[in-house]
Amino acid sequence: MSQRKYCEQSENYYPMGMEHQTKHWNDDFSNDATVLQDIDQLSSVHQESDELIWIRNSCNISVQTTDTQAAVSLQVGLQLAIALVVSIAIGDSDRSHAVAQDIFQQFNDEQTNKQVIYIDNSKDVNIVTTDTDLSVNIQVLLEVLVALIIKLDVL
Amino acid sequence: MSELPKKTNAIPNKVIDLLVSDTLRKNGINLDDAKGKLSPDQKQMLKELVEELTTQVNEFVDKTTSPKKGNK
Repeated sequence: MSQRKYCEQSENYYPMGMEHQTKHWNDDFSNDATVLQDIDQLSSVHQESDELIWIRNSCNISVQTTDTQAAVSLQVGLQLAIALVVSIAIGDSDRSHAVAQDIFQQFNDEQTNKQVIYIDNSKDVNIVTTDTDLSVNIQVLLEVLVALIIKLDVL
Repeated sequence: MSELPKKTNAIPNKVIDLLVSDTLRKNGINLDDAKGKLSPDQKQMLKELVEELTTQVNEFVDKTTSPKKGNK
Protein backbone atom coordinates (compact mmCIF):
# COMPACT_ATOMS: atom_id res chain seq x y z
CA MET A 1 0.00 0.00 0.00
CA SER A 2 1.18 3.49 -0.57
CA GLN A 3 0.08 6.68 1.04
CA ARG A 4 0.88 10.10 -0.31
CA LYS A 5 -0.31 13.60 0.27
CA TYR A 6 -0.21 16.33 -2.30
CA CYS A 7 -0.57 20.01 -1.78
CA GLU A 8 0.22 21.87 -4.94
CA GLN A 9 -1.29 24.35 -7.34
CA SER A 10 -0.51 23.62 -10.95
CA GLU A 11 -2.17 23.43 -14.33
CA ASN A 12 -0.57 20.14 -15.31
CA TYR A 13 0.30 18.26 -12.18
CA TYR A 14 0.63 14.51 -12.63
CA PRO A 15 1.15 12.64 -9.37
CA MET A 16 2.96 9.32 -9.11
CA GLY A 17 4.77 9.74 -12.45
CA MET A 18 1.60 9.12 -14.42
CA GLU A 19 2.38 11.55 -17.22
CA HIS A 20 3.66 8.68 -19.41
CA GLN A 21 0.54 6.62 -18.80
CA THR A 22 -1.79 9.34 -20.01
CA LYS A 23 0.11 9.47 -23.27
CA HIS A 24 -0.34 5.75 -23.84
CA TRP A 25 -3.72 5.40 -22.25
CA ASN A 26 -5.50 4.26 -25.41
CA ASP A 27 -2.60 2.33 -26.88
CA ASP A 28 -2.82 -1.41 -27.39
CA PHE A 29 -0.47 -2.75 -24.73
CA SER A 30 -0.46 -6.21 -26.30
CA ASN A 31 1.89 -4.91 -28.99
CA ASP A 32 4.55 -4.14 -26.41
CA ALA A 33 5.91 -7.68 -26.16
CA THR A 34 9.68 -7.77 -25.90
CA VAL A 35 9.97 -11.56 -26.18
CA LEU A 36 8.35 -13.48 -29.00
CA GLN A 37 6.96 -16.91 -28.20
CA ASP A 38 6.30 -19.80 -30.52
CA ILE A 39 2.61 -20.38 -31.11
CA ASP A 40 2.58 -23.56 -29.01
CA GLN A 41 3.76 -21.62 -25.99
CA LEU A 42 0.87 -19.19 -26.01
CA SER A 43 -1.06 -18.89 -22.80
CA SER A 44 -4.40 -17.20 -22.32
CA VAL A 45 -3.24 -15.78 -19.00
CA HIS A 46 -3.21 -12.12 -19.70
CA GLN A 47 -3.87 -9.29 -17.36
CA GLU A 48 -3.85 -5.56 -17.47
CA SER A 49 -4.33 -3.55 -14.37
CA ASP A 50 -3.82 0.15 -14.78
CA GLU A 51 -4.60 2.97 -12.48
CA LEU A 52 -4.60 6.64 -13.26
CA ILE A 53 -5.10 9.22 -10.54
CA TRP A 54 -5.01 12.78 -11.75
CA ILE A 55 -5.00 15.55 -9.19
CA ARG A 56 -4.85 19.23 -10.11
CA ASN A 57 -5.52 22.53 -8.41
CA SER A 58 -6.16 20.66 -5.19
CA CYS A 59 -4.85 20.53 -1.69
CA ASN A 60 -4.53 17.95 1.07
CA ILE A 61 -5.41 14.91 -1.03
CA SER A 62 -4.69 11.51 0.48
CA VAL A 63 -4.22 8.55 -1.87
CA GLN A 64 -4.09 4.91 -0.82
CA THR A 65 -3.76 2.36 -3.62
CA THR A 66 -3.34 -1.40 -3.90
CA ASP A 67 0.18 -2.49 -4.70
CA THR A 68 -0.65 -4.06 -8.06
CA GLN A 69 2.94 -4.94 -8.75
CA ALA A 70 3.12 -7.13 -5.64
CA ALA A 71 -0.09 -8.88 -6.68
CA VAL A 72 1.17 -9.58 -10.17
CA SER A 73 4.43 -10.97 -8.78
CA LEU A 74 2.47 -13.23 -6.47
CA GLN A 75 0.34 -14.39 -9.38
CA VAL A 76 3.40 -15.23 -11.46
CA GLY A 77 4.89 -17.06 -8.47
CA LEU A 78 1.75 -19.20 -8.16
CA GLN A 79 1.71 -19.98 -11.87
CA LEU A 80 5.34 -21.02 -11.73
CA ALA A 81 4.66 -23.19 -8.68
CA ILE A 82 1.78 -24.95 -10.49
CA ALA A 83 3.97 -25.52 -13.56
CA LEU A 84 6.78 -26.80 -11.31
CA VAL A 85 4.56 -29.26 -9.43
CA VAL A 86 3.12 -30.59 -12.69
CA SER A 87 6.56 -30.84 -14.25
CA ILE A 88 8.11 -32.75 -11.33
CA ALA A 89 5.16 -35.09 -10.96
CA ILE A 90 4.68 -35.89 -14.64
CA GLY A 91 8.29 -35.86 -15.80
CA ASP A 92 7.48 -35.89 -19.51
CA SER A 93 7.99 -32.26 -20.56
CA ASP A 94 5.47 -32.23 -23.42
CA ARG A 95 2.68 -33.68 -21.33
CA SER A 96 3.47 -31.54 -18.27
CA HIS A 97 3.48 -28.44 -20.46
CA ALA A 98 0.08 -29.42 -21.88
CA VAL A 99 -1.37 -30.01 -18.40
CA ALA A 100 -0.09 -26.67 -17.06
CA GLN A 101 -1.45 -24.80 -20.09
CA ASP A 102 -4.81 -26.57 -19.76
CA ILE A 103 -5.06 -25.56 -16.11
CA PHE A 104 -4.27 -21.91 -16.78
CA GLN A 105 -6.63 -21.73 -19.74
CA GLN A 106 -9.56 -23.11 -17.73
CA PHE A 107 -9.84 -19.80 -15.99
CA ASN A 108 -9.85 -17.69 -19.11
CA ASP A 109 -7.71 -15.34 -17.12
CA GLU A 110 -7.99 -12.42 -19.48
CA GLN A 111 -8.83 -9.35 -17.50
CA THR A 112 -8.61 -5.67 -17.99
CA ASN A 113 -8.98 -3.44 -15.06
CA LYS A 114 -8.62 0.27 -15.56
CA GLN A 115 -9.36 2.91 -13.01
CA VAL A 116 -9.33 6.60 -13.71
CA ILE A 117 -9.77 9.07 -10.90
CA TYR A 118 -9.77 12.77 -11.65
CA ILE A 119 -9.76 15.36 -8.90
CA ASP A 120 -9.85 19.03 -9.71
CA ASN A 121 -10.19 22.09 -7.54
CA SER A 122 -10.74 20.11 -4.34
CA LYS A 123 -9.52 20.06 -0.79
CA ASP A 124 -9.35 17.35 1.88
CA VAL A 125 -10.13 14.33 -0.30
CA ASN A 126 -9.36 10.77 0.75
CA ILE A 127 -9.04 8.17 -2.03
CA VAL A 128 -8.81 4.42 -1.42
CA THR A 129 -8.65 2.04 -4.38
CA THR A 130 -8.65 -1.76 -4.41
CA ASP A 131 -8.15 -4.32 -7.15
CA THR A 132 -10.57 -7.16 -6.40
CA ASP A 133 -9.92 -9.00 -9.67
CA LEU A 134 -6.31 -9.59 -8.78
CA SER A 135 -7.17 -10.84 -5.29
CA VAL A 136 -9.66 -13.38 -6.62
CA ASN A 137 -7.27 -14.54 -9.31
CA ILE A 138 -4.53 -15.17 -6.81
CA GLN A 139 -6.85 -17.06 -4.48
CA VAL A 140 -8.03 -19.32 -7.31
CA LEU A 141 -4.48 -20.10 -8.41
CA LEU A 142 -3.59 -21.01 -4.84
CA GLU A 143 -6.63 -23.30 -4.62
CA VAL A 144 -5.53 -25.09 -7.78
CA LEU A 145 -2.00 -25.49 -6.45
CA VAL A 146 -3.29 -26.92 -3.15
CA ALA A 147 -5.69 -29.27 -4.97
CA LEU A 148 -2.83 -30.52 -7.13
CA ILE A 149 -0.49 -31.31 -4.29
CA ILE A 150 -3.24 -32.96 -2.24
CA LYS A 151 -3.82 -35.28 -5.20
CA LEU A 152 -0.12 -36.04 -5.19
CA ASP A 153 -0.19 -36.89 -1.46
CA VAL A 154 2.19 -34.06 -0.58
CA LEU A 155 -0.18 -32.62 2.01
CA MET B 1 -3.95 -29.64 4.47
CA SER B 2 -4.74 -28.83 8.08
CA GLU B 3 -1.19 -27.55 8.54
CA LEU B 4 -1.71 -24.80 6.02
CA PRO B 5 -2.30 -21.30 7.29
CA LYS B 6 -5.88 -20.01 7.29
CA LYS B 7 -7.44 -20.91 3.96
CA THR B 8 -9.30 -18.62 1.61
CA ASN B 9 -11.85 -19.90 -0.93
CA ALA B 10 -12.63 -17.89 -4.03
CA ILE B 11 -14.17 -20.88 -5.82
CA PRO B 12 -15.67 -23.93 -4.05
CA ASN B 13 -13.15 -26.73 -3.44
CA LYS B 14 -15.18 -29.26 -5.39
CA VAL B 15 -15.07 -27.15 -8.54
CA ILE B 16 -11.29 -26.81 -8.35
CA ASP B 17 -10.94 -30.50 -7.53
CA LEU B 18 -13.04 -31.51 -10.54
CA LEU B 19 -11.17 -29.14 -12.81
CA VAL B 20 -7.77 -30.51 -11.79
CA SER B 21 -8.93 -34.15 -11.99
CA ASP B 22 -10.47 -33.59 -15.41
CA THR B 23 -7.35 -31.85 -16.76
CA LEU B 24 -5.13 -34.71 -15.57
CA ARG B 25 -7.50 -37.33 -16.99
CA LYS B 26 -7.78 -35.59 -20.37
CA ASN B 27 -4.01 -35.55 -20.67
CA GLY B 28 -3.73 -39.21 -19.77
CA ILE B 29 -1.89 -38.67 -16.48
CA ASN B 30 -1.89 -41.59 -14.05
CA LEU B 31 -1.88 -40.18 -10.52
CA ASP B 32 -0.28 -43.28 -9.01
CA ASP B 33 2.63 -43.00 -11.44
CA ALA B 34 2.98 -39.28 -10.68
CA LYS B 35 3.00 -39.94 -6.91
CA GLY B 36 5.78 -42.48 -7.40
CA LYS B 37 7.95 -39.91 -9.17
CA LEU B 38 8.10 -37.64 -6.11
CA SER B 39 10.89 -38.32 -3.64
CA PRO B 40 10.34 -37.52 0.07
CA ASP B 41 12.72 -34.56 -0.32
CA GLN B 42 10.73 -33.18 -3.22
CA LYS B 43 7.48 -33.63 -1.30
CA GLN B 44 8.90 -31.71 1.63
CA MET B 45 10.14 -28.94 -0.67
CA LEU B 46 6.77 -28.63 -2.39
CA LYS B 47 4.98 -28.62 0.95
CA GLU B 48 7.12 -25.72 2.18
CA LEU B 49 6.62 -23.89 -1.11
CA VAL B 50 2.84 -24.15 -0.87
CA GLU B 51 2.81 -23.12 2.78
CA GLU B 52 4.85 -20.04 1.98
CA LEU B 53 2.65 -19.08 -0.98
CA THR B 54 -0.49 -19.61 1.13
CA THR B 55 0.85 -17.22 3.75
CA GLN B 56 1.70 -14.62 1.10
CA VAL B 57 -1.73 -14.90 -0.56
CA ASN B 58 -3.55 -14.62 2.76
CA GLU B 59 -1.52 -11.56 3.71
CA PHE B 60 -2.27 -9.94 0.35
CA VAL B 61 -5.99 -10.74 0.48
CA ASP B 62 -6.27 -9.46 4.06
CA LYS B 63 -4.50 -6.28 3.08
CA THR B 64 -6.70 -5.56 0.06
CA THR B 65 -10.08 -6.57 1.47
CA SER B 66 -9.88 -5.31 5.04
CA PRO B 67 -11.70 -2.03 5.69
CA LYS B 68 -9.43 0.97 5.30
CA LYS B 69 -8.92 3.50 8.01
CA GLY B 70 -9.29 7.19 7.32
CA ASN B 71 -6.04 9.02 6.78
CA LYS B 72 -6.84 12.32 8.25
